[in-house]
Amino acid sequence: MTTETDVALAVPPAYVQRSPAYFALRRFLANRAAVGGGIVLLILILAAIFAPLLSKSDPTAQAFLKDSLAFPSAEHWFGVDDLGRDFFTRILYGARVSLTIGFAAAAFSVLIGVPLGALAGYFGGKTDWFIMRLIELFSVVPPLLGAMLLGALTGGGFVTIIAVAALFGWVGVCLLVRAQVSAFREKEFVRAAQALGASPWYIIRRHLIPNSVSPIIVGFVLSIPLAMMLEAGLSFLGIGVPPPTPSWGQMINVGMNFVFFYWHMALFPTAALAITVLATTLFGDGLRDALDPTQKGR
Amino acid sequence: MILFIIKRLISIAATFFAVSIIIFLMMHAVPGGPFDGNDMPVSAAVREQLMAKLGLDQPLWVQYLNYMGGVLRLDFGVPYQSPGESVLSLLANAWPPSLILGGLGVLIGAPLGILLGMAAALNRNSWIDYLASAVATLGLTIPVFVTSMLLILVFAVWLNWLPASGWGKPERWILPIVAYAAIPLATYARYTRSAFLDNINKPFVTTLRAKGLSERRIIFQHVLKNSAIPMVTVFLPMFIGTATGSIFVESMFRVPGLGSYFVSSIQNRDYPLEMALVLMVTVAICLAYLISDIVYALINPRIRFGGNKQ
Repeated sequence: MTTETDVALAVPPAYVQRSPAYFALRRFLANRAAVGGGIVLLILILAAIFAPLLSKSDPTAQAFLKDSLAFPSAEHWFGVDDLGRDFFTRILYGARVSLTIGFAAAAFSVLIGVPLGALAGYFGGKTDWFIMRLIELFSVVPPLLGAMLLGALTGGGFVTIIAVAALFGWVGVCLLVRAQVSAFREKEFVRAAQALGASPWYIIRRHLIPNSVSPIIVGFVLSIPLAMMLEAGLSFLGIGVPPPTPSWGQMINVGMNFVFFYWHMALFPTAALAITVLATTLFGDGLRDALDPTQKGR
Repeated sequence: MILFIIKRLISIAATFFAVSIIIFLMMHAVPGGPFDGNDMPVSAAVREQLMAKLGLDQPLWVQYLNYMGGVLRLDFGVPYQSPGESVLSLLANAWPPSLILGGLGVLIGAPLGILLGMAAALNRNSWIDYLASAVATLGLTIPVFVTSMLLILVFAVWLNWLPASGWGKPERWILPIVAYAAIPLATYARYTRSAFLDNINKPFVTTLRAKGLSERRIIFQHVLKNSAIPMVTVFLPMFIGTATGSIFVESMFRVPGLGSYFVSSIQNRDYPLEMALVLMVTVAICLAYLISDIVYALINPRIRFGGNKQ
């Protein structure tokens, strides 16, 4: 005689309400390239923050002049550069410069792009026309050329490059936000807010910008690699971050002169820049696909 | 159609003058003048005389009008660094290498990219699809000078197959052309693939199959034509990318082209040369805009008749 307790009733799966963020996370984690990019980016950020712990020498001190141009060894992982500085330390501190400029420029791009995009999307008409002409002007002058002129205008340097990169980086964020806002402008909840007497400013701030959070995040992450490339490009041409500060673009330019005999001077900064830019872009692309599945593959 | 082209030409001319004014003001706002450098020290009196001779002592708007008056007569002035020549003759010597390398890069890269994108879309999730995605991502994210550096390291330094730099012999062209081709190849591989995937399952393709049309004609005649619009759209960003990439490619491979003058003219405050270069790039980009607009109008009658300016 069997007891009733042995008969296991099939328990119906508990109904769990999932938030859109949960599905976005699921989609993101399913994208192996994006997860890989995110992990590499995280490691790079940690390495940049804890650079003084990972390397004891100073990035600008010419401490190993006797070993100038030494090849990679157990003591100097990436060798020594032409001025007797440990190259691993230089690359490590170069990550600080690159990442700081990337994140700061992206933040300023968002600060410029979000209000302009929201204005263009919400008001349309003349406002939209004016902002679109502004964007057109920026797309006719290639960012690099404009940046070169502005860099010369201000004499280069850390802050200038952030400003220049933001000046040319806001366009992407602005277009993303504009598209989102103009799509939501006619929605019922905005109509309802208007009927209740909300001012345009209130609607933009309380309804439209919070609804544009995903394009803003995507725009932010995708402007990081652009700013990093701009910085590296300008430093490569000698009008970016001035010399004692380690910058990968600058190191590639110097390495170019030694490429036939001391290949490590060229290889490591090149690889560092390529890996960082690639990881950030893959992470950003994955984020975009996860947050906005309708855009996938574009 | 003619009205459409005229309208676009007017808007392009307006953009051209707006850019020229902005660049002119920016250039002159840069502190320092052309004769402040240390490699050519001149006394104050001589400098004053030079400035007066070159018209640099006049108010800015007079200088601008003088310069633009010359530009409209195709006289771009005399570069300050080599007064024996005109800007035009200096650039005439410099543009063939840039055009040959950049042109060949685009001519080789773009068709290859289209073919790669097509192959990827037709064999979805196969190795060729993954290869196309990898090529597209790498080519679009990694800066040109990094690609160039890796090419030099692998093919010139380690394998020792090809010369790393210089100009003149055809084998010296190979690496810079490959570096140039990276951007069009990557751009076209990505956009052809996604445009093809959009079209390949549309009802009209099924209809054509039902009609018994050969697969090859469906792909090349119908799907390719319907996928052309995004391919025209990306032409402009690709063109800008290749043009600005030339600054790096030429400096990496030591090619005596236009690229090197961009940096040197800015550093030396060589106003006429700098202005001529920027205006040339602007005109080239505006023309690319015009061409892609015309091609748009030709392949999509809705744009032509709807008057939608985009």
